[in-house]
Amino acid sequence: MTTETLEPPSLAEPTNKRGFNVRTLSLVGLLVVIAVTFHFLSGGLFLSARNLYNLVVQTSVVAILACGMTLVIVTRNIDLSVGSVLGCVGMVIALLQIEIFPQDAAWNWPLTVAIGIGLGALIGAWHGVWIAYFGVPSFVVTLGGLLIFRGAAFEVAQGKTLAPFDPVYRLFGGGIDGALGVGPSWALFAIIMVLYGLGEVLVHRRQMRLGFDSTVRTKLLRFLAVFVVAAAFVATMNSYMKPRSDIGRGIPVPALVLLSVVLFMEFVTRFTTFGRYIFAIGGNIEAARLNGIPTRRTVLKVFIAMGVLCAIAAVVTTARLNAGTSSTGELLELSAIAAAVIGGASLSGGRGTIAGAVVGALIIQSLESGMVLIGASSSQRMVAIGLVLMVAVLADKYLSGEE
Amino acid sequence: MKRRSVMSLLAGLSLSALMTAPALAADITVGMSWANYQEERWKIDESGLRAGLEEAGAELVTADAQSSNERQASDIDGLLARGVDVLLIVAWDSEAIIPSVERALAEGVPVIAYERQIEYPGVYYVAFDPVEVGRIQARELVRAQPKGDYVIIKGSPTDQYAHYVLTGQKEIIDPLIANGDITIVGEQWTDGWVPDNAQKNMENILTAVNDKVDAVLASNDGTAGGVVAALTSVGLEGIPVSGQDGDIAALNRIALGTQTVTAWKDARELGRLGAKVALELAKGTAPEDIEGSVVWDKGPKGTAQNASVLAPVTITHENLDVVVDADWISKEDLCAGVTENAPAACN
Amino acid sequence: MKPLIEMRGVSKAFGGVHAVEDVDVDLYPGEVVAVLGHNGAGKSTLMKMLAGAYRRDTGTVLVDGNPAELSSPAEAFDLGIETIHQTLALADNLDASANLFLGREIAWRVGPFKIMDSAQMRDHAAKVINQLNPRFTNLNTPCRDLSGGQRQTIAIARAIHFEARVLIMDEPTAALGPHETAMVGELIRELKAKGIGIFLISHDMHDVFDLADRLVVMKNGQVVGSAKKDDVTQDEVLGMIILGKCPPNAEPGPGARVSQ
Repeated sequence: MTTETLEPPSLAEPTNKRGFNVRTLSLVGLLVVIAVTFHFLSGGLFLSARNLYNLVVQTSVVAILACGMTLVIVTRNIDLSVGSVLGCVGMVIALLQIEIFPQDAAWNWPLTVAIGIGLGALIGAWHGVWIAYFGVPSFVVTLGGLLIFRGAAFEVAQGKTLAPFDPVYRLFGGGIDGALGVGPSWALFAIIMVLYGLGEVLVHRRQMRLGFDSTVRTKLLRFLAVFVVAAAFVATMNSYMKPRSDIGRGIPVPALVLLSVVLFMEFVTRFTTFGRYIFAIGGNIEAARLNGIPTRRTVLKVFIAMGVLCAIAAVVTTARLNAGTSSTGELLELSAIAAAVIGGASLSGGRGTIAGAVVGALIIQSLESGMVLIGASSSQRMVAIGLVLMVAVLADKYLSGEE
Repeated sequence: MKRRSVMSLLAGLSLSALMTAPALAADITVGMSWANYQEERWKIDESGLRAGLEEAGAELVTADAQSSNERQASDIDGLLARGVDVLLIVAWDSEAIIPSVERALAEGVPVIAYERQIEYPGVYYVAFDPVEVGRIQARELVRAQPKGDYVIIKGSPTDQYAHYVLTGQKEIIDPLIANGDITIVGEQWTDGWVPDNAQKNMENILTAVNDKVDAVLASNDGTAGGVVAALTSVGLEGIPVSGQDGDIAALNRIALGTQTVTAWKDARELGRLGAKVALELAKGTAPEDIEGSVVWDKGPKGTAQNASVLAPVTITHENLDVVVDADWISKEDLCAGVTENAPAACN
Repeated sequence: MKPLIEMRGVSKAFGGVHAVEDVDVDLYPGEVVAVLGHNGAGKSTLMKMLAGAYRRDTGTVLVDGNPAELSSPAEAFDLGIETIHQTLALADNLDASANLFLGREIAWRVGPFKIMDSAQMRDHAAKVINQLNPRFTNLNTPCRDLSGGQRQTIAIARAIHFEARVLIMDEPTAALGPHETAMVGELIRELKAKGIGIFLISHDMHDVFDLADRLVVMKNGQVVGSAKKDDVTQDEVLGMIILGKCPPNAEPGPGARVSQ
């Protein structure tokens, strides 16, 4: 066996799945430019611990949805219903937790979260069956879903606003107590870094055993980059104090939810056959079928995953607002799609990354928050986000060398 | 369709039988065309309307357009065919409805735009005064916090109603801004009135002004919920916040002390007002002679119309018993979680 | 010798149009059977039924003498039937190793997931591809950036790696240059020597007479006739394809035009 046939993926290749992804890196660059610009325009507010904490919490919902949207878009589908599904599931959770189940029961909130996630999966399956088995275009099915579940969100409580939620449930929203605290944040950081390092070593050893010319330098660099960014993140979150105290807040719970979602989705897309099939279907569905991939079942599962993520996002949103309202999540589908697309998901299918989607969501929310900080109006924000969406996709097109 | 035509036939028969009797209130048939009866509040409006008409012995016939312009047009044709003496309309689309309005007026049937303005000469307008909503919000906030840094969380920029509310707010606070008592340190529209958007905007404004906020003019109870959630996460809950609608969650916040005021619109009262105006018009009273009639010309087109506007009720910590006595909210919902500084209504 | 494949009375219709009608075909180990006919003659449809990509409406297929349902590509793979599709069935966004193992990844089952052993797959892919085409080194490149010959190599590598016993090759040389066409010819002879049965769909009469042992001609979904290569001339085969006329040395099928 020759080692040159297994050379490490070159950094110039944007689509390689290992090492540094040029597309995602260039997005991070864009994010940095936006952040620094707003930092100066806002007189040093944007990069303050407080604003970054808010930014992370505000981004989490769109980012969670964008992770699922990326999978949907990779299979060359679209989901216009996510905002409505989020609203509907949020209202069902609110109704059960506040009106139906006894308020003081300890099992109340965990059960309502479980039911919400089950409902999300069911709604996702409903869409998935129409799309994968009945062959109705996803645009149409989920446009129907957008109307159906927004209507259902109203019907659940006849448009009433339901509040308040269980205090423990509210932690999911990252309010005043909804963060890990300083010590646990560092502990979590340490655990994740150790696991990550061990994982890299194991992969490296296996590659060595198979005679690959495994690249220690790239892996080490990557580890160091992740270590520095994560440490800076934890330190920043810890330096935002609770009001009128010197108690650091630490990592907000919505960020933890997002982190879990991202790690799980990265794992699924990179390492499992299910993830491989999603990309194969997007690349060439006929080829996938001819190679024995269960294309329909895979698309169905993608929509179920999207539904579950809607439910998780619904938990974060309602806990954050501490109320269930029938308009919750309106127009979120557009933000989720924009985040996924800015993050490099191609509407022609077969391409997209979870990390890119999260960075895309961060870019959108940075524009939103930054422009409020400098006193811009909502209409000006729309113009800015629209422009960035178009520029990002154009830049991505050139980076990927597509004609 | 079939059912409706049979119904209108029956109504027509009963009507012709009554035709010879003298024109008493008891013979009046009032038509109501709902835009979308599915929405919770119209059931409440209807109960007030029905009560007002039943007391006078008049009959109410209704149709629900279910959010469709076409259906509302055919509904109105049907109601006219039934021979209603006066027509109330909650317009689904205040422009698309105008041909139907013209038909009704041509047949000599008075038209009342109920709650949603139809800007057309000769149409009577019955509604809660949206400008007064803004005045109530600003008045109570100024009462609680006469000086300081204010934030305005406006409604949806594409909704005329949000602009009316803002007009009322400005009427009260503009002089105070001019004399330097009040400074506006941040203001944002709320796309679609969505509370999540209001929450994000409020969080970012708080960052921008480093928490130096003394009061928040939120335009309805939903956005107020977002504002209070944002204030709570930085430990500022309790500063004056306004709202409107009398949402259960908002009334609870008032009891808890995290919201100052809501402009409560008791839809039953509006229904009763609608009934009163309808009966007067049916009896042939001239629109300008109706008790409490005003000229309304604050719409986008500036059309002058006769109108009866109902002032919303100011609800604060002091008079929460009003909503409990009106059976709008149960004492249990109102007082959930209330421990210290409980309002009188919770005792 | 027992046939590898026996297709008996196989038919398939799409919306009332008979794409394949009452076809009988056999394939023996180490035999190359060319399937010939115009576009739309039904040869690709017939082969896709054998590959599990289409379900046949009627008829039986015996593999090693045992009846086979062939309801999915996976089932065909399990029976050792591999196909090199005309389109090559490659996902352009994935690299060589991912495409080689597409649908049949080496993976560990962990709970509901199958975790891929990417290192193992790349190792195998490198071996088999290197054996076919030593100059093919860019194994990490997405297929869209590869040449026609390299793409063909991946599709062939699938059949080799998964040890096909029956290989269906649908126009394997259509997109290739002369040098690569010669390589495919060489490969077919090697596989044949190993006892693998091959169905070869081709337009190129030269290829067919060079590589095939036997040929089957189809027209309008039916078999015109079949013959040993040495018993017929190229002109006679052309007559079968174009006119549906079965020459005396060939065995006529249901689609043969009855001569007046």
